Amino acid sequence: MKLLTIELKKILPYKTFWIVIGLYFLFLALGIIMAEYIVNAMVDDVNNRLPIPLPHAVLFNFPDIWQNLTFFASIRFVLIFPAIIVIILITNEFTNKTVRQNIVNGMSRSEFILSKLQVVLMLALVISGILMIVMLILGLVHSDSQSLSMIFTRFSFVIGFFIQMLTYLCYAFFIAFILRNTGLAIALFTLYTIIIEPVIYFFLRAPFMWENKVYTYLPVNAVIRIVEYPSIPALKKLMNFQLQEEVSLLSCSIPMIYAVVMIAIVYLTFNRRDL
Amino acid sequence: METILSIHQLSKRYGRIQAVNQLSMEVIKGQVFGILGPNGSGKTTTLGMVLDLIRPDSGSFTWFGEEPSKESRKRIGAVIETPNFFPYLSARRNLEIVAKIKDFDYSDIDRVLHTTGLHDRRNDKFKTFSFGMKQRLALASALLNKPDILILDEPTNGLDPQGIAQIRRLILQVAREGITIILASHLLDEVQKICTHVAVLSKGNLLFSGAVNEVLAVSDCIELASSDNEILKAAIEEHPAFKSVTESDGILLAVFSEEVRPGTISEYLNQRKITLSHLVERKRTLEQHFLELLKDTQP
Ligand SMILES: Nc1ncnc2c1ncn2[C@@H]1O[C@H](COP(=O)(O)OP(=O)(O)OP(=O)(O)O)[C@@H](O)[C@H]1O
Ligand SMILES: [Mg+2]
Repeated sequence: MKLLTIELKKILPYKTFWIVIGLYFLFLALGIIMAEYIVNAMVDDVNNRLPIPLPHAVLFNFPDIWQNLTFFASIRFVLIFPAIIVIILITNEFTNKTVRQNIVNGMSRSEFILSKLQVVLMLALVISGILMIVMLILGLVHSDSQSLSMIFTRFSFVIGFFIQMLTYLCYAFFIAFILRNTGLAIALFTLYTIIIEPVIYFFLRAPFMWENKVYTYLPVNAVIRIVEYPSIPALKKLMNFQLQEEVSLLSCSIPMIYAVVMIAIVYLTFNRRDL
Repeated sequence: METILSIHQLSKRYGRIQAVNQLSMEVIKGQVFGILGPNGSGKTTTLGMVLDLIRPDSGSFTWFGEEPSKESRKRIGAVIETPNFFPYLSARRNLEIVAKIKDFDYSDIDRVLHTTGLHDRRNDKFKTFSFGMKQRLALASALLNKPDILILDEPTNGLDPQGIAQIRRLILQVAREGITIILASHLLDEVQKICTHVAVLSKGNLLFSGAVNEVLAVSDCIELASSDNEILKAAIEEHPAFKSVTESDGILLAVFSEEVRPGTISEYLNQRKITLSHLVERKRTLEQHFLELLKDTQP
């Protein structure tokens, strides 16, 4: 608790922290509003060619809302914001050299790592918590009695989202400790998430390559796949098959293994390197 | 005699450079211990190692007679090179974080802010401080809850003369309270003014260490000449404070272990019926002395 108190003392008065958190929720809200608009446009388009029109998609009904909102909250472009916060909070300690002061003042190196892991855990919990409350409120507003009876049917997606957030923030924690430089770490992390990995993914998947499933094990892809598809009943009816019903334990375990390995590497290197 | 810090055969190499070489030394409670050496002699590296910032290649050290740990570091107040704080936090907030890490409550914060003259600016952000104020905040954080030992690395670097005088006064005041101090400096004069003990480093090697008044004893030289330098030389060698004498170009250069006035020396020689044709007092500055000490050890 002492370590977390110290971290909060560093974080709460930090303007940049609030700005990036604000941006995250702003992008998320925009994404969700646009998503509903786009899905409905698709349904309208399909309806032009169908004798019996499909109903408009409702993203915010229980139990679909759990899956839909966690899906939009975990697409690459949105997920990157909390990761940037973690990178900034950690690399700041190196660029301001406050890590040295912390150690000199009587923190052990392990405690320093632990305090940053607590920040990661706290951020993942708080963001998942806020999202859960938003989903609950939106769901209640949009629900009839029938959907209310299924209120917790797809709740596993909230847990899945928490695992996504936690593991992805652990990746950010790793890159920040290894590179120690704010600009470099953010640039590389963003580049990897948004460009490098999708390119690798594309080549591994492409049919002209040998048959393989390697692409599903790429670190960021493994995180994204925990909540892989949204749940949109109208489209389900149209395509006549179900994309994803629940969060699987296997899909959670892959990024968690990555995260554990990364934390171990940080422990080993940070304890050996000069500060 | 309680040993505060004991260093045993500590070494650190950076590539081709041996930053610290087999260094051993002891700091005893109550000392104001100077680590003196020119730029790049390994002072900061040594302090970094004993504060767990830099991993030594070999060697060991103990704090307060125990294996070093985070608990021993909580009893140390240290300022290493530049002051390191969160730029967006106020002076007070920064000190609160320090206090929290050291398991202190906040009751001593106001006192150290007063001592370092920062109390009026306590709510201003660290990044708005001038360099001298940053330096003083670092000192304030080191003084929090009266540490058992205060470590200062070039504490007057970059300060104006007034700031330097202030900081030195503060250090002496802290020393008088019985707090042990380690002070790294490349300024001989500073060590001479403040320290009781000194270790002199050059290229990572310990040249010598001991009490300041022994190691850095100021010896005056006197130039002398007479019609017969042989007799003169013999007479000087019999002087109770005699240390050394060398001859060049018909002039003797005599060094004494304590201050000897030219007047008393000529009287001393007169008694021995020696008449001087040349008598000049040549004060050696401390810097010269220091530089000579360093030169002696070079191949
Ligand atoms: N991180 C580093 N990487 C490479 N070389 C280093 C590093 N830190 C110090 N050195 C080298 O080690 C030697 C000792 O450096 P150190 O900083 O300990 O000297 P110093 O006595 O504190 O000097 P100054 O009076 O300039 O502060 C120098 O030659 C320096 O170049
Ligand atoms: Mg130095």
